[in-house]
Amino acid sequence: MGKLIVVACGAGINTSTIAEDSIRERMAKEGFADVEVKRILMADIEGYLTRSDLILIVSMMKIFRTFEVPVIQGMPFLIGSQEEKNVLLDKVVDVVKSK
Amino acid sequence: MEVLQSAVGWFLGLGSTVIVPIVLIILGLIFRVGFAKAVRGGVTTGVGLAGLFLVVNLIISALQPAVQALATNMGIEKSFVDVNWADAGIAWGWPGVAGLIVSLLVINILMVVLKLTKTLWTDVWSYWHGSALAGFVWALTGGNVVMGIAAGVLYLVLGSLMSDMTAKKYQEFNDMPGIGVPCGTTVQASLFAMPVVWLLDRIPGLKDWDASPDGIKKRFGLVGEPAILGLILGFIIGIAAGYSVQQWLGLGMQVATMMVVLPRMVSIIAEGIVPITMAIVQYMRERFKDREIYVAVDCAVLLGHPAVMASSVILFPLCVLLAAVLPGVQMLPIASLAVIPFWAGAVVPYTKGNVIKTVIVLLLYAIPFMYFSTLTVDAHTEAFNMMGQYGDQISQGLKLASWDMGGDILGFFIQKLFGLFS
Repeated sequence: MGKLIVVACGAGINTSTIAEDSIRERMAKEGFADVEVKRILMADIEGYLTRSDLILIVSMMKIFRTFEVPVIQGMPFLIGSQEEKNVLLDKVVDVVKSK
Repeated sequence: MEVLQSAVGWFLGLGSTVIVPIVLIILGLIFRVGFAKAVRGGVTTGVGLAGLFLVVNLIISALQPAVQALATNMGIEKSFVDVNWADAGIAWGWPGVAGLIVSLLVINILMVVLKLTKTLWTDVWSYWHGSALAGFVWALTGGNVVMGIAAGVLYLVLGSLMSDMTAKKYQEFNDMPGIGVPCGTTVQASLFAMPVVWLLDRIPGLKDWDASPDGIKKRFGLVGEPAILGLILGFIIGIAAGYSVQQWLGLGMQVATMMVVLPRMVSIIAEGIVPITMAIVQYMRERFKDREIYVAVDCAVLLGHPAVMASSVILFPLCVLLAAVLPGVQMLPIASLAVIPFWAGAVVPYTKGNVIKTVIVLLLYAIPFMYFSTLTVDAHTEAFNMMGQYGDQISQGLKLASWDMGGDILGFFIQKLFGLFS
């Protein structure tokens, strides 16, 4: 079964694109062929929560609720240095490997 | 000289959906993002632009007759067509966009080095606010690209100063250290909120009045979804226009389509531009590693708090009603309603998530937008015309307006200033 990572932001226009791009690149580098990275509107998240292949939510904004799957705060993708980004990408890789 | 002139004329004649990909591919190669990425980004942006113009065509063909019929039927003057984020098409498609990006980067780096601002304008996507205004001024001055760039840069520089004033508050409320949000009408909403909230806190009874955001979301949340909001607005406009049942049902679906598809097209433009400009972010970030800097991010990061959507669903109908009854306001907000959540995101840090206060602040804030979008309609429409879009309809009297950026308060005064030179 495939693995789904959703990158959620407020508008689904700009900020999530940046994170999506970085994560996709890393997934390709790691050779994870079964990982799908999808950017979504935070408002649309309900429809994804019920999907059994959802393994991770990367959120580009502060969220005021909890989820069953792990959540990673994606802000360093926007404003972090390369090292901070790598730390975050390592976390994503760990989640993918553990599932 | 003549050869050069005709070459430039030939190039500009290609139209923005061809020029923009070419410019972006060249920019991408300069920033060394690699050939494949540059080509993919450039072409994707062109696709997004072309798609955006298609959607605007749909809006015009559906809404223009409807608002005209509504105006005649109700005896009010509301005949401008609301295209809101179609302004992103002007922003990325007018001839000076590359010059604007480079000018702002240079000036912003200088300002940060000289400690005139703490905001590092890394979020190249959000330059679109300034670039759209630049496009209006370009149209206003009869095609003066330099004037356009100057106006856009002025707007964005002022944006970085406004970001300096609001960054700490945004960071604390949203728990995002190190960010700043210099986006156009969003950061202006914060500045507007400061004195108004101060005043509201001194009115007895109002001070502690609040509504539960979760309760509102549960009851009216559906209206906050673009498709449903569009459907309802389409129905209401159709009925008020005296349409038959068949016609107003159809109009509802068309407006719903527009509300969903317009931002999607903007999103495709971003999908193309963002990877090409990521190198700039990285470069600037590394360069100012050890300084206290507010790194510019998109206003979408402010949308997390539940009071944002709760306030917005209350504001949607109130804003439409207010625009309908205010004399002299000639555009009924439809597509422009999409900007309200972003304004709310900028105001809730100041109202501490209080829904009632957020609604009051933004209802007042929307009033200048209603008038300025009416006052700036000619330059706005002309910018589309000069880019080779909708010429036939425009010559027959079509007027295109928007809140974000046509109604922009700061943008209005900058347009007035540069209008003096035309």
